[in-house]
Formats: sequence, C-alpha cells, structure tokens
Amino acid sequence: MTTLLTVLLACYLLGGVLPLCTSRPSLQNSLAHSSAAAGGAAGIALGLGGLFAAQPLTLSIPSNIPYLTCALRLDPLAAFFVLTISLVGLAASIYAYGYVREFTGRVSVGLLGSLLNGFLLSMTLVVLADNGFFFLIVWEVMSLLSYVLVVTEHERPGVREAGLFYLIMTHAGTAFIILTFLLFAQETGSFSFEAFRHPDQRLPEGLRSIAFFTALIGFGAKAGIVPLHVWLPYAHPAAPSHISALMSGVMIKTAIYGLIRVYFDFFEGQFPWWWGFTVLSVGALSALLGVMYALMEHDLKSLLAFSSVENVGIILLGIGAGMIFHTYGLDELAALGLLAGLYHTINHAAFKALLFLGAGSLLFATHTRNIEQYGGLLRRMPWTGLCFLIGAVSIAALPPTSGFVSEWLIFQSLFLSVQLPTLFLKLMLPIVAAILALTGALGLACFAKAFGLSFLAQPRSPQARHAVEVPVAMRIGMGLLATSCALLGLAPMLVVPLLDRVTAPLTGVTISDKVLALDGWVVAPVTVEFSSISMPVLAALLVGAGGLGLAIARLLRKGMPARYSRTWGCGLPLTPRMEYTATGFVQPIKQVFETIYQPTVKLEREFLEQSKYFIRHQRFHSTIEPLIEQYLYQPVVTALLGAAERLRVIQAGSLHLYLTYIFLTLVLLLLWAG
Amino acid sequence: MSESTQLGSQLVDLCSVLLLLSCFAIVAQRRLSACVDLFALQSFFLATTAALVAFLTGHRHIYVAAVLTVVIKVIVLPRILRKVIERLNVSRELVMNINIPAGLLICGGLVVVAFFITQPIIPLGYLLTRDSLALALAIILIGLFTMIARKKAVTQMVGFLVMENGVFLGTTAAAYGMPLIVELGVFFDVLVAGLIAGIYTHRLQDAFDSVDTSELTVLKE
Repeated sequence: MTTLLTVLLACYLLGGVLPLCTSRPSLQNSLAHSSAAAGGAAGIALGLGGLFAAQPLTLSIPSNIPYLTCALRLDPLAAFFVLTISLVGLAASIYAYGYVREFTGRVSVGLLGSLLNGFLLSMTLVVLADNGFFFLIVWEVMSLLSYVLVVTEHERPGVREAGLFYLIMTHAGTAFIILTFLLFAQETGSFSFEAFRHPDQRLPEGLRSIAFFTALIGFGAKAGIVPLHVWLPYAHPAAPSHISALMSGVMIKTAIYGLIRVYFDFFEGQFPWWWGFTVLSVGALSALLGVMYALMEHDLKSLLAFSSVENVGIILLGIGAGMIFHTYGLDELAALGLLAGLYHTINHAAFKALLFLGAGSLLFATHTRNIEQYGGLLRRMPWTGLCFLIGAVSIAALPPTSGFVSEWLIFQSLFLSVQLPTLFLKLMLPIVAAILALTGALGLACFAKAFGLSFLAQPRSPQARHAVEVPVAMRIGMGLLATSCALLGLAPMLVVPLLDRVTAPLTGVTISDKVLALDGWVVAPVTVEFSSISMPVLAALLVGAGGLGLAIARLLRKGMPARYSRTWGCGLPLTPRMEYTATGFVQPIKQVFETIYQPTVKLEREFLEQSKYFIRHQRFHSTIEPLIEQYLYQPVVTALLGAAERLRVIQAGSLHLYLTYIFLTLVLLLLWAG
Repeated sequence: MSESTQLGSQLVDLCSVLLLLSCFAIVAQRRLSACVDLFALQSFFLATTAALVAFLTGHRHIYVAAVLTVVIKVIVLPRILRKVIERLNVSRELVMNINIPAGLLICGGLVVVAFFITQPIIPLGYLLTRDSLALALAIILIGLFTMIARKKAVTQMVGFLVMENGVFLGTTAAAYGMPLIVELGVFFDVLVAGLIAGIYTHRLQDAFDSVDTSELTVLKE
C-alpha cells in the first residue's frame, strides 16, 4: 500500500516535471499523459486496497512550520474518493493524449499536461490529508491549479471573466472552510484531524451550529449548491474538455468528501435533526433549479455544468436523508441514505466525465458548443455517439443504468421516512421525493434534447456536415468511462459491498447483507417484501423484450418483400430547416415554468416596401432571466462597486496625499501606543 | 556613571542635536543645491556621531558604518543629486504645499511629539546613547514631513535620505547599530534608491517638462 502510494505520488510528480524538460510537443504530450494515466492506475489500485484494508494507512511527515504536519490517512472514505478521482483521472489522461492536439501551437502542451498532473495530485492529496493545515494548503493548490487550467485559452472572449468569477467564488468558499477548521483548532489546540474527531474535545453547542453552516457554505461553494452554483456554468465550459470532465466529475466531489468528513467524522454523527433537514432542502433546491436551467441551455458544456448542480443536489439528498435518520438513531436507514449518496457520487463522476469528454469530442470535430449547430452526428461519429448515449441514458436515470440504481436507492431512503418519529419530517421527506421525481423527469427531457438534437436527424451546420470521428485515444478514454457506467449499473452486487465498507465506520452498522438479497442478485433496502429490484434481470428483460419484438416482426414479415425508401417529407425534399430545434424542444417547459424562467421573447420583422405581406427578414430573440444572479449577486456587485466608487475619493493619485496618509497614520499610531 | 562616560554621552547628544538642527535648516531652505549641501553636512554629523559611539564603546564595526556613511552619504549621493539639479535647470523651489514658517512650526511640534512618545522608553535604556532615540525619531518624522511639504522630486529625495539618517541614528542610539551585514545592505539600498530616484527624476522631466511630483496625478484614469 505504501508502495502504491509512492508510485502514485512519483507518477504525478514526474508527470508534472518531465514535460517541461523538453520542447517537442509530441514528446511532452506522451510524457505528461502517460504518467498521469499511470498515476491514475496506481490510484485505482490504492483506492481498492484502502477499501479492503483492515486498518487505515497513515503517514506523517513533520515540518518546520508551526501546526503543519504533512499527514496522510487512507481510511475507507478517503479510499473511495481516491478510487473515484483516479478512475476519472485515468480516462481523462488517455483522452487528453488525443485531445490536446487541438491546442498544439496555441497553448504549451507541456505546460497543460504538467498542470493536469499537478491538479490530479492535489485532488488526491485533498482526500488523503489528515491535518487541517495541510488540507487547506492542498485544497488551495487544487483551486489555483484548476483556475489556471480554466483560463488555458485566455485569449478567447469570456474565458478570463469566467476564470476570475471562479477564483472569487472558490476563495470565498475557502475562507469559510478556514473558519470551520479554526473553530475546531481553537477548541482542540491542534490542526490534526485526529484531534478534531476526538470525542473528549467536542465543540460547545453554539459553535457546532456555526461550524455546520461554515462547512456547508465553504464546501457548498465548491460543490456548486444553489445559490453558490453560479460559477459552474461559466468556468466549466471555459476549460479544456478533459479538464471540465475532471472539474465537474471529481473536483466538486472533493467538497462532498469534505462535508461527509466534517459531519460524520468530526462531529461523529452527533447533530440535531435540522442539520440533516437543511442539507436535504439545499439538495432539493439545487437538484430542481440545476436541471431547470440545464434544460434551457443550448451550449452543450454549460448544460452539463448546470446538470452537475442538479446531481450534487441529488447526492446531498442522500446524505441529508442519512443525517436525519442518524439523528433519530435509525442507523441502518442512515447507512442506506449515505450509501445511496456515495453511490450517486461515483456514478455521477463516471457519467458526467463521460459526457464532458463526449462534448469535447463534438467540440473537437465541429469547433462549436452550440447544440443548434449539431445534428446528424451519430452517422459521422458512431463511437462518440454510442458513448454519449450511454452517458446520457445513465444520467437520465433510465433503467437498467447506474443513475437509476442510485436514484432509486435515494427514493427508497426518502420513502422510508415513515419510520421517523416526527410528523413534520414524515410529511417533508415525501415532498422532497416528489421534487426528486420532477427533477428526474426534467433531467430525462434535458438529455433527450442533448442527445437527440446533437446526434440524430440531419446536420444543421456545415461544421456538423463535415465532422469526422475523433482519434483512437479519445475513443478509448470515453470507452473506459462508458464501461464503468455500465458496470456500475449492472453490477450493484459488486459496488454495494464496497460502499458499505465506507459507510460502516461512519454509521456503525453494516448493511450490505440486508441490501443485497438472494446472493446479490436483488437490491432490496430493508426487506424484499417492501421493495426490491434486480438490475441484471431488469437488463435481461429489456434486452429480451427488444429481441422478442424483433423476432415477432421477423416472423410476421415472412413472405413479404422488404422495401427501402427515403423518409416521407410530405412530398418535399427533407432539409435541416424542418428539424426540431433545441429552442423549440424546450418551449413547452419554458411556458409551464414561466414564473421561474421569466422568459422574454422579442420578434423583429422587416417588411418589403411594396407590401407588408412579404417579410424581408426577421429576427427572433429569446432569453431567460438568471434569477439568482440577478437578485442575489447583482445587488452585492453593485454595492461593492458603489463603495469602491466612494472610496476613490481618497485615492486622488497625488503622491503627497499618500505620503500624508502614511505620516498621519504613523504619528497617530505612535501617540496611541505611547 | 563615570565622568568620562558622562562626557561621552553628552558629546553624542551634542552631535545628535546638530543632526536635528540641520534638519530644520533643510526645511527652511528654498535653494535645492543648498538642501543637498545641508544633507551632506548632516550625514557628516551622523558619521561623527557613529565614530564617537564606536570610540566610546569599542564596537569596531560601527567604524566601518561611519566610513561608509562618509563615502556614500557625504560624497557619492550629494554628487548624484547635484548632477540631477544641474541637468534639470531648477535651482529654487518656489511653490510649496506648506510654506516655510508653517513648516518650521510643524517641525517644532513634531520634535515635541517625538520626545513625548519616547519619554516612557528612554529611562528603561542603559546605553550611553539612549537620549538620542528621541532625536532620531524627530529626524525621521521631519524627513517624512519634508517629503510631504515639498513638490520637487529632488527635495523629496533629500527628505527620504534624511529619514534614512534618522533610522541610522535610531539604531545606533537604541542598540549600538545593527549587525554589520544589515548595515551594509541598508547602505547598498540607499545607494540604489538614490540612483533610481535620479533616473526617475530625469524621466519625470522628460515626460512632464517639470520635476513637480504633483503632476503625477494626471496618471490617474
């Protein structure tokens, strides 16, 4: 295990340094991405090893800086996240080997690869850190490296603004995390996580609640919970696609890790019911608003970014439900909620990274992110299309895919709220379940749009017409994640025991025997009688039903000649202008949720001079109001700028005035001290 | 305290007072070249003080600092400043932010403030130079005040150097000087600062046809 850890660190470090030692882009490319991939492979082994280890692996390197110890600890929770990060890291590195050719000449490939290695290393260290100070340092390194990666193409319009926005939000979040750790450190006198989780040094009641909120805000800003999610739809599309995959797939998951670490580990699961309820409400809000805005987005990568907000919300639903059950001592249900949340975490990492890689492939082939300009790509890019379809079906939570299993488990844990003792929660949890159901339906519409309008029908732009399939390395990277998605969906009997090892130390009970009935072929929270589902059987049934239909059709067709002809277009030749557009597709939903979207539609027409029955040309504008940005962030920005404008008065630009400020401050301070 | 050390202490005080007096002279002087000469004189007094302290205490390294003071602050820097003045073709400072009588009054007030502030500290000291601390602080404050009151870059430079002299006197008074290596670093800094300020003044002249730093306000957007 220590060897694996050393290999992992060495790979990432070499990958960080070596590419900068040569100047040939192709060599830089292979060096950087092969070491990142090797590090990812080592990380997968390390994660699995950590999950099965009897004792957590600990490592500690003291330093000269006070309070700082470079302490690492690989317990099951950390191991699970190392596994997730490394899986996506491996796929993204292989993918990047092909993808960075896009950047040759414009951006230093060596630097990009080196930063990728640093980013992967810092994420791995974040979940391994066992010292608050060390955690904050690697957390900050992770944030800064991701910022640098976001602004890779800083010469493109909007990218720098996106980077700056991200930087501000992430630093505000870090400030709250620092506050959380300081509260603990003040009470325990040490920054080591060992001291934080020590039962003798518990925080006083009031401070506990403050720490709860600071942790929720601090980690929430990184995870992208509503209303702190505003940076995601700017930063994720701006970054190169394999970086977006890492940011959306795993970086925001380090925040989920942080929340679980603080709530279940440091607080040892000792919290009032309203903590769990707050997390649950935030999750429900994020899930619903995330998917609603994702639906309206026509930029494929922004759509995926909003969808990440939705999925973080779903993960928090599982964790929140787990927290509520834990408060009332229903440990098995708590373990179920937490397990469902973690299951969705790794699922989302796999399919969201896959979809971002797919979006990157479309960008690579067509050089646009606008869904309106795609169309007909399935025929031109069959491999990308298949992988994207697997990702889209998984994220839309259609059976028998991975998204379905985890969302189903979250539903089950919400329904089991009947066992709670208070009426309020008994009423609220089913309402949350209803919100989750609405989210699921809208998510399905969203990805039907994302896949259908991109890949089906005829190309709507010349770029899409001339698109060709992407290089092999990119296909392998996507294929790896597509396989993982399928495996996570079809084999819950392999995944649940692993997750149970993570939740068992946190909740004190192991539930994998109960959840997996009939030798693991059936997933059944609590009892088989209440509800149960078997993914392999479901998959077999679906495939079987399809096969049966085909067989019947073939049987009935016997004797009749097959006739091949063009699609009927009412007598006219089919053109792309007849297609359903992305705007048209979501129009009904826009109408239904008018209150939230507040759409404005503007139609400008210019008529011929001779007759107004003939239109020379017309323009159609349709926009929706970003409510949260407008009513929550805009006032803050305006107030800040206003204050800065007023403070400008003392910044007159006169040297003498500045000297006078210094002089007066000096004299007054001296007098005050004297 | 023996009679000889008492005498030495008084001599140190005398030299420090001469330093302060030259500060007042700089504040009262309109002609730029005279300001520079007065600065050279002040630096000479500083070197004398340092040498005196070195002689009285037997700290050899203060001799080195004294010699460096003579070389850099009495000879090199005034020469650079005179060159700048010659090239600039400005000999007098006509308009000031604060006129001379008011400036002198404020400087008097600053000396009082300096003594008031250091009053609780001085009795705690045991070095024979301890009384100079108040004077050193007064010189620092007056140097800073000069930078505010004057508009020409050259006099501001002189103000800055006067502050530096004050700091040097302060360290000698409070702790018989800093370690030699720090001392050397500071001298090097001052020299470089002098060179940079000289170049900067030239640039200022080229850009604005004036060495009035008030013109810099136009740099604001």
